[in-house]
Amino acid sequence: MRYRWRWMAAGAALVASIAGIAWLLFADQSVSLLPFLRRDATWQAVQQRGVWRVGLDPSFPPFELLDATGAAVGYDVALAQALAETWGVHAEIVAVGFDSLPDTLKAGRIDSIMSAYPYDERLTQDFLFSTPYFDAGLRIAVPVGSTIRTLSDLTGQRVGVEWGSVGDMVGRRLQREGVEMNVSPFETPDELIAALLEDRSLDAIFIDNVSLRQAQAVGQPLAAIDAPLESIPYVIVMPRRATELRNQVETSLQLLRARGDLANLENRWFGHQANKEGAP
Amino acid sequence: MRRRRYDAGVNMLRDRRRLSLLLLVGLLLALTGIWVWRLYLPKVVLGPQQTVQTINPKVGIHTRLTDEVEEWKIKRTLEMVREMGAPWSVEYFPWAYIEEAPGRYNWVHADQVVAHANRQGVTLIARLGFVPAWARPKDTTPLYLDEARFADFGRFAAKFAERYRGKVSYVILWNEPNLALEWGYAAPDAAKYTALLRAAYPLIKAVAPEVHVLAGALAPTLAPPGSEFGVNDLVFLQAMYDAGAAAYFDILAIHAYGWHFEPDSPPDPEVVNFRRSELLRDIMVKNGDAATPAIITEGGWNDHPRWTRAVRPAQRIVYTLRAYDIALQEWPWLDALCLWVFRFPWDQNSYQDYFTFVRTDFEPKPIYTEVQRYTHELAR
Repeated sequence: MRYRWRWMAAGAALVASIAGIAWLLFADQSVSLLPFLRRDATWQAVQQRGVWRVGLDPSFPPFELLDATGAAVGYDVALAQALAETWGVHAEIVAVGFDSLPDTLKAGRIDSIMSAYPYDERLTQDFLFSTPYFDAGLRIAVPVGSTIRTLSDLTGQRVGVEWGSVGDMVGRRLQREGVEMNVSPFETPDELIAALLEDRSLDAIFIDNVSLRQAQAVGQPLAAIDAPLESIPYVIVMPRRATELRNQVETSLQLLRARGDLANLENRWFGHQANKEGAP
Repeated sequence: MRRRRYDAGVNMLRDRRRLSLLLLVGLLLALTGIWVWRLYLPKVVLGPQQTVQTINPKVGIHTRLTDEVEEWKIKRTLEMVREMGAPWSVEYFPWAYIEEAPGRYNWVHADQVVAHANRQGVTLIARLGFVPAWARPKDTTPLYLDEARFADFGRFAAKFAERYRGKVSYVILWNEPNLALEWGYAAPDAAKYTALLRAAYPLIKAVAPEVHVLAGALAPTLAPPGSEFGVNDLVFLQAMYDAGAAAYFDILAIHAYGWHFEPDSPPDPEVVNFRRSELLRDIMVKNGDAATPAIITEGGWNDHPRWTRAVRPAQRIVYTLRAYDIALQEWPWLDALCLWVFRFPWDQNSYQDYFTFVRTDFEPKPIYTEVQRYTHELAR
């Protein structure tokens, strides 16, 4: 009996410790164990003002550019509007220089970044990231109807690269690793594509996915094969504590994907050919 | 009898405990000794003395080892610089990293960089700057420095020159002093920068008279008069001469970015291009300083796909090789051309990554291979 208070104190300390550890473990996670203690000020502000402020640098077509009236347009702009629509709010585009985007988000002047922004693991301490909505990495492209379907099919084939580009670097690396293909450098992507489709002096090319989609958009009969040789995933960036906004973004991205809206956006900004040829 | 046996048993147990305890203490001491020994054991060997093989002795590159914590990467970087055929390297030695408190120095990292550069046969040009917290007011950036602290900076520069005497013969004082950013957002002032040179130069010369002091390293900019961001580099250099800077530097450091212009694009005061260096040279000559040489300590081209000042990757290669040729064939007043930048310790995830010659994992980019071919007379 005389030790009872000690047991009670020890028990209370134990419970408090467990609660403390649980808080430390889960307070910053997207799925909070203590939802009543967490609130996402960014998401609340978006809802209150009815506006989702999206920062982007409108200098990278077709993702973001200025139209004749000076308004920002492009794939990212359209995607931002589509996402905002699913939440019943309006997407307000804020033009910010690319390098200043993270600081602008940190300063609270925008709610998210959507600017063909590559995933950066070094920023996860400060920001949340969506799952990728586009991969701008390096692809193997062949003429539509080619029998080349995978990287291993390139053995003995003529492969073109843009001289000095990432494709050139990867081509040299694959050769060092023993892939026996004949690599030829070209000074511009246009020359590269012409050599593949017009001169027929190449069997395949290594090209970044943005250039590939743009070529497809103007009707070039190109098809991407195999997985990307290098991945550059574009993501939506949000404040570190905007867990509810991140959940909403994820849910809406899934919805847009399921409804075919993402595919429609790609068709609109990259052309129909992309989907027909099966490039993801 | 039973009692005696009991006592003997207890004593034996006690002896065993003592023995065990002694063994454990001994083991602990041995492990601690091994740990301390390994701590001070050189982890990366310097290797044999090397020399740079190149057809162009002016080829240089700006390495960025400041935040490279792993010594093997420091070594690998400088090995690859040598293998590229570059006898020159500019490296940043931040004052704040070295003089952590007044008079208390941590040379560990700087020693590693200097030792590996020397062993690879690469001539180091040490850029000095970045103010420690103790030498500046609270809530200022590490680039802020009051005139009252110029002597502290000078003492650090002299300490650096003295420590690496015979190993580092070139030091750059400050960086891009014509930009407000580089003064912690204080207004750039050529007279103030000259005062910094006047404070540091004699201190360096007193301990290492053979060390070459580089000044300038001006940012090429077309900033209009009265701009809060910076001062036009041509205007700033003339103002330096007007303030008497000529007596306080041995070599002019130049930053020569080409942006989207080819290297033969003619010099023009209204354009930032590679040959803007010639305009800076004209100012030197006009001020009677023709005997003073110059070194380009930053410059080059960028091949980012979206940056407005970038060129295509193929253009970057052609322009870079041409620039090294210009340095060798046309600019006798230039000692070296050190382009920005060899490698970063980690991806910047911005246009900066497209200035590099090798990736963070040391995979050579095509530009690295092409410069290597050029310096070994195998250029296309």
